[in-house]
Amino acid sequence: MSLKRNVVSIVVLLVVAAVSTALAGEKNAPPSQKIPKGAKVFVAPIEGGYDTYLKDAIAKKKVPVEIVASRDQADYEITGTSESQKASTAKKVILGNWHSREEASITVSNIKSSEVVWAYSVHEEASTHGKKSSAEACAKHLKEAIENQ
Amino acid sequence: MHSRQLSVFPVLAALILCLAIYPLPARSSTSQESNSNQDQNKGADTGKPAPNDQAKVPVSNIKSAPTDEGQLATVNNAKIPSYSKVYVGPIAGGFENYIIAGLRNKKVPLTVVIDRTKADYEISGVSDSEKAGWAKMLFIGSQNSNEQASIKISDLKTGAVIFGYSVHKTNSVRGKQSAGEACAKHIKQIVLE
Repeated sequence: MSLKRNVVSIVVLLVVAAVSTALAGEKNAPPSQKIPKGAKVFVAPIEGGYDTYLKDAIAKKKVPVEIVASRDQADYEITGTSESQKASTAKKVILGNWHSREEASITVSNIKSSEVVWAYSVHEEASTHGKKSSAEACAKHLKEAIENQ
Repeated sequence: MHSRQLSVFPVLAALILCLAIYPLPARSSTSQESNSNQDQNKGADTGKPAPNDQAKVPVSNIKSAPTDEGQLATVNNAKIPSYSKVYVGPIAGGFENYIIAGLRNKKVPLTVVIDRTKADYEISGVSDSEKAGWAKMLFIGSQNSNEQASIKISDLKTGAVIFGYSVHKTNSVRGKQSAGEACAKHIKQIVLE
């Protein structure tokens, strides 16, 4: 009888230890940073209409995600910022460069868990195709991130 | 006489160019980064706390970590547990996105969240970007911008600022991206892996 009681108490202690260890580990567990193929993604408005370029680039580069028009329907959200500076007269005259300077940074976050799962920034000092180039760079790297998981 | 004038002209041009370029190496060397705690700016800058603040902030609280770019300072050797949830607050010019991208690029073991209520720590700061002017293009032939940013990390539970860092990059090749990555690189030094 006492042996049975001891076994039960040991089992209970082991269970408690396992649960507490799991809970302790859960607090700072590495996030599951994965964007599944075919995930529904909402592209939030970005200044300068950069979200439009991004949507086009995602389609052009065949990124395996589904763009949705409403945030409520989406699993992931793309937010970001972009800055474009047209070539100044000095740049044209002195450096002989007509191309614009493009900077952009985007973040993909899981709407349910609020975790940022992917982020990327691009800087092009003389962008041949302006915002289109930088948006396609973002899309290309997003595609790589999804496919190389 | 004519040939003498011809020889003087290039010398004068070279002299003007030298005068224009001379101060740059001293102040730039492409990047200058420094790090200090917000509460201890004076102490971190001078290596000693201000006399009035001596009682509040002992200098021993500032712990230096190895870095080749500047002095890294944290309060009480503060560390952030790996995969802690961090919220990056909005920064002018969307610089928070560059910090998040930098954290990912530098593989900093933190979990960035977009909901402040779910976070343990908050990163906030300011940033400023100065585009290359015509004079810079003419005299130096550089079209790179000057970037500066300053961030701080605060513990949302206690409200204490545990880390501060500022970066200044003259002729930043990759603009805000470089500044964001510099911030991320130094944040990594206080994250327990």
